[in-house]
Order: sequence, then structure tokens, then C-alpha cells
Amino acid sequence: MLRRFSVGNAPGHFGPARAWWWGVLPLGFLLLMVVAPLARLAVEALPDLQWAGISAMWQDDYLRWRVWWTVLQATLTCVAALALGLPLAWVLARFEFPGRVLALRLLMLPFVVPTLVAAIGVLALWGPRGMLSAWWGLDLQGTPWLLLYGNLFFNLCLVVRAGVEALEQVSAARVAAARSLGATPWRAFWRVQWPAILPWLVSATCLVFLYCFSGFGLALILGGQRYATVEVEIYTLVAHELRLAPAGALALGMALLTGAVAVLYAFVERRLATPGRADGVARRRPTGAWQWCAVVAGLASLFLLCGAPLLAIVVRAATAGEQVWAVLLDDETLPAVWNTLRFSALAVLLATLLGVAHAFAARRSVWLRAAAFLPFVVSPVTVAFGLLLLYPRWSASLPLLIGAYALLAYPFVANALGAALDHQPAHLAQVARTLGATPRRVFWRVTVPLVLPALRRGMAFAAATALGEFAVTLFLSRPEWATLTTLIYQRLGRPGGANRDAALVLAALLMLLALLAFVLIEQAPRRARVLAPVRGATNVPA
Amino acid sequence: MSLLELRGVCKTYVDAQGGQALLADGLDLLVPGGRIVAILGPSGSGKSTLLKMVAGLEPPDAGAIYFAGQDLAAVPPERRGFALMFQDFALFPHLDVVDNVAFGLVEQGLRRAVARERALQMLAVFGLHSHARQKVWRLSGGEQQRVALARALITQPRLLLLDEPFSALDAELRTRLRDEFSQRIAAAAITTVLVTHDEAEARAMAQQGFRLLQGRLLPLW
Repeated sequence: MLRRFSVGNAPGHFGPARAWWWGVLPLGFLLLMVVAPLARLAVEALPDLQWAGISAMWQDDYLRWRVWWTVLQATLTCVAALALGLPLAWVLARFEFPGRVLALRLLMLPFVVPTLVAAIGVLALWGPRGMLSAWWGLDLQGTPWLLLYGNLFFNLCLVVRAGVEALEQVSAARVAAARSLGATPWRAFWRVQWPAILPWLVSATCLVFLYCFSGFGLALILGGQRYATVEVEIYTLVAHELRLAPAGALALGMALLTGAVAVLYAFVERRLATPGRADGVARRRPTGAWQWCAVVAGLASLFLLCGAPLLAIVVRAATAGEQVWAVLLDDETLPAVWNTLRFSALAVLLATLLGVAHAFAARRSVWLRAAAFLPFVVSPVTVAFGLLLLYPRWSASLPLLIGAYALLAYPFVANALGAALDHQPAHLAQVARTLGATPRRVFWRVTVPLVLPALRRGMAFAAATALGEFAVTLFLSRPEWATLTTLIYQRLGRPGGANRDAALVLAALLMLLALLAFVLIEQAPRRARVLAPVRGATNVPA
Repeated sequence: MSLLELRGVCKTYVDAQGGQALLADGLDLLVPGGRIVAILGPSGSGKSTLLKMVAGLEPPDAGAIYFAGQDLAAVPPERRGFALMFQDFALFPHLDVVDNVAFGLVEQGLRRAVARERALQMLAVFGLHSHARQKVWRLSGGEQQRVALARALITQPRLLLLDEPFSALDAELRTRLRDEFSQRIAAAAITTVLVTHDEAEARAMAQQGFRLLQGRLLPLW
């Protein structure tokens, strides 16, 4: 099956050359799990998709506010994340100081923390009887700040990482040329560095908007009655009011809007596909009080926005007392842990199979590559709702649940592996061929060892996604299939401080599981770095 | 008698945007056994593509390539017994130095332990014995270059193809390695095709030189 390979001129053409059929499995899967459910949604929403129906929905003050607020909170988060993230990225990319590498690594943390854990963290800090709200006498319940804070927890790190990556791509020679032509440091930034990093920032902003716009868990827990988003409204319409037609119309509208933003994102990403500069601007130690203040302020704000909620969970859970910790051994928790682990393991297995197949199939097709982003574009709530409508007899079946988990997780595998395949220098395969390796041997001796760290990285992200899955489980699961996330949600919905503390302890456990995935992810780059230095051979004398 | 022979080789490069460039236009070349032949040309003239066609990594659009009288059209790269060295050395980053050098021997069917032993001997010849267990990215540019040559020579190739082998190095190191490479290639008596844009380098190493211009080879010396 791996008989024919290409060692063509384009970088990284290592994979099977006639591998279109690799795409049959992931494309069939996408067809059944995304396209068909969306089509079914369209049929369901047909009555509300007439002009009169749309007009009636738009006349509804309540729904109109939901839509406006959903757009507004996503936009506000984008603005805040950019305003805070760019200076932070500058500090991390341009200054060398103790703890910089650790800070960069910890920036990965929110990517693996389940939404529900983040929401609990924000509540532990700023919610009713939260650590900081009690201290400062603030009551943020019922305000938009909790949701915006939660949004920033997830998305600030994304902008900072993109900013650091972008600033590291800026050519030192170009900056030096600008300075030597009379540009002040500020003018050199504005005229040389800003245009270089702008596409990265636009790309990151698109992602932030997508995440906030289609977010569910944070809005459900932190938004309350007034500041919940359209995704929560869809869930309410389906699960509590059984009004499927308006829910379908809203879900389709959301899919269209997120699709438009995703197209913009893909367009910007194409511009980023040019090779990076090797001569990055050198980092320097901060000098003077102002620069040190910038470093300290940057790290402090990062800690407050991205670290403090997680720390609050740990502190609140640790001080909750033995009685609360007993929740870990009760009749609900153990099956939930078992369900979480087995669903995640099965989902990662399926996601790996789909992701590997998709990555190889997409080597030569832009369209196939774009298709891997489809599960990111359509929100989990929309997917779950569509699946519920399309396969009602399967709605509480394990294959559909695992399939839905895998759908949300496999793009991580496909994208990580696809990027690794793209970045492999074609010369390595060519040299291996001239040294006597057959195409099959090249695959096993060169390609596989080099993409393995990326595959592991993708699998770890997939595992983190499956561990923290919430929306799909709410829609498609049976009561006896409660996972840690649904159990936390149930505990939050029950009255009393003991239930809230139990939710905190369960969130700490879920965070621990997610951290295991995080450790796996953070080990991968150390091995992945092997590609970089060899590609640009050093000029150091022997 | 010519060992390598290119007859009427044509090649057009089509880029992703559909643009075309004529790299070889009925190109002929005769390379006698045991000699070093240099092909000069500016960037984008098709020098590297020419080497890849000889190595079997790119098929010519038309024409034929013979080695020792055998038409190579149906011979895959791994069966040609040639060695190709790239400008960026193309060392395998997941392998250490000794396994990089032993790579080709393992592919020839030698047991890994035996291949490693032979590779260590080769590294000793190149003065790199102490680096055997290092990852290749830890080596300097010159050391990486020597490892790449050791990896190419250990398989005793019938033909050595050098693609801008010194262009990633600084001037002083380039001169030093150029002399060292010439001596080692001469000692191994391997027929070699060198492509470069540096005429001084070509004249220092090769007995015969050509310029690749608009898809054709013009003899220089």
C-alpha cells in the first residue's frame, strides 16, 4: 500500500504519491458526521429559513440580544487579547530573562485545560465567595466580566504565542537596514516589523473570534441568564424547550458565520506559508528599570489572567477538607472517571487513524487540507444537534458518541502530522534513495522517525480535547455514561456549598488528567527541533 | 570511453502557478570515468535538476541517460549506485553521526553492527571519530560537510554527484574543504559531477568544465 512514493522537488514530498484513496476514510467520515448532519439541520430549520421566519426571529428582542452579545463578546475578547497579547509577546520575544522558556511552555497550558475546568477556575477566583471577589468585595455574578475573563484565559495565550512566533520571524537584517536608513526604533517597528507580524496577528485574531463566537462551556457556566451566547441558546432550545426549527436556524446561521471567518483565516494562513527568516532579531537582557518593569508587568498579567484560575482550583480543592475529597471515591465519580478514560482512549485511537489517513491524503490537495478544519469551523453544539436529528436511533449509542469525540479531536492529529510532513526537507528522502533505500525503506527509516514527535503532539492535543469534551456529551450521552465534565456540570447545578466544592475537586482531577496530556505535548518539541538546525547548515568553521 | 552519457535530455520545470522554465533543451554530456566534471550556471539554470535526473530522482521529459552503456530509464535511484551530496548536506537529524554514515551500508544489506563498525572506521579517516555518537545538528558546518562526504563515499558509489557542496560554508573553510574533498575523491578514483555557481571552485576541482545556459551545455575548458 505504500509502494509508490514521490521524491519530487517540492519540500517534503515523502508520502505515498498516489494516495488519494487515503482520503476515502476521513472524507466519508466528514460526510457522515458533519455535512449530512448540517444538511439535516437545514431541512429541520426550513420553516424558519423563509423570509417571514427570519424576520420573526430578528424581531424577537431576546434572540437579537443573544446574537449581538455573541458577536460583541467575541469582538471584545479579540480587542483585549490583542491589546494585552502584543506587548506580552514583545517582552517574551525580545528580552532574555530567567524563566522566559518556562513562561513560554506554560503558555501551552490553556490549550489543554478543559473548558469546564477553566470556568470553574474563574468562578473559584471571581465567582460568589471566590478568592479574589471575597477579598476585594466584588460581586461579578450576573456581569459580562466573568465570561470575558474566561475568554481571555483561553485566548490570550494563543495571541501571545502567535506574536512570539511572528516576532521571531522578523529579519534582523531588515530591521538593521531600516535603522541604518534613518528609522528610529519606533519607525523601524512600524515600517518593518509590524507588516511582518500583521498576518500572524490577523490569523490569531480569526481563531480567537472563532473560539469565542462558537464557545459553549464557558458561556453556559459563566454567562448566566443574560450573557449566555447563541450556542447556549441552541442547547436550551433543543434540550429544554424542544423547539428544533428555531434551534436549527440559529445553528445554521452560526455555521455560516464561523465558516466565513474560517475562510478569512485560511486566506491569511496561506500568506504565512512562506519560509521563515533564519536571521531573527537577537534577544537581549533587559537593561534599566523600565525594561525590567515591562518584564515583571508582563509576567504578572500573564499569571493573573492565565495562571491564577488554575491555581485557584488547586488551592480551593486542597483546602476543601476530607469530606469533600471523599467525592473522588463515591458511586458517581468512579464510573465517570472510567467513562472519561475509555471514551477518550477510544476517541484518540479513532482520531489517530483518521488523522493519519487525512494527513497523507491531503499532501497534494489544498481542498482536502482545508477539509481537516471543518470540525473546527462547525461548533460542537451544532454537530451534536445535527447528529441527534440525523441519527435519532443512534443518539445514545457508543459508536456515535465516540465518533463525535473523534470528529472534534482528529483535526489536531491531521494538522500536526500534515505540518510535519510539509516541513521535512525533500533532500532527506532523495539522499536516502541514492544511498540505496527503496521508497518503503525511506518511509520507515526517514519519514516515520521524523514525523513521530508531531504525531504524538497531535495525539496529545486530541487526548486533551476528548478528556475535556462537554457539549457533545450533553447532547448524545446516556445518564449512565456521565463523564467527569458532565458530572462537574451536574454538581454545579445542585444547590449547596458542598456540591460546589465537590465540583472544584473533580475539576482538579480533570485538570490533572489534562496536565498529563500537556506533559506529552511539551516533550515533543525537544525531539522535533532536530529538523531545524540541519536545514540551514551552520557556517561555523570546523 | 565515457562512463556517464546524457543524450538529448530535455526538461521543462512547471511551477505551482503554471509558469514554465526550460532547464534542459536537448542536452548532451559525456563524462569519462575517473574524472571530475564541473557544470557551472546561475541560480535557477537547472544545474540541480540535471543532477537529480542523473540520480533518478527526476525523470527527463525526453532523451536518455546511460551509465557504463546501460540505459538508466528504468533503474530506480536506489539501484543506480550513485551518491548525491546536497548544499545543505541533508544529514538525517534523527540519527547520530555514525548511523548517518552507516545508513547506506544498512540499505545495502549489511548488519547494523557491521555497518556501524565500518562507519566508525570511515569517521576515523575523516578525523570525526570522536563525534560518532553526537547528533548531527551539534556539528559545525565543516563537520557536517565531512560527515555527508563520508556517508556518500562509504557505499563506494559508481558516480558522485555534488550539488553546490561548499556554498553554505564561509570562504576560508570552503577553500580548505575543497582541497580536502579533491584529494579524497581522487584517492577513491570516483567519477564525479560537480555543479556550482563558483567558477574558481570548479576550476580548482574539475578537469573539465561546462556552462549550463538556456538548457544547453557550453564547454569552458
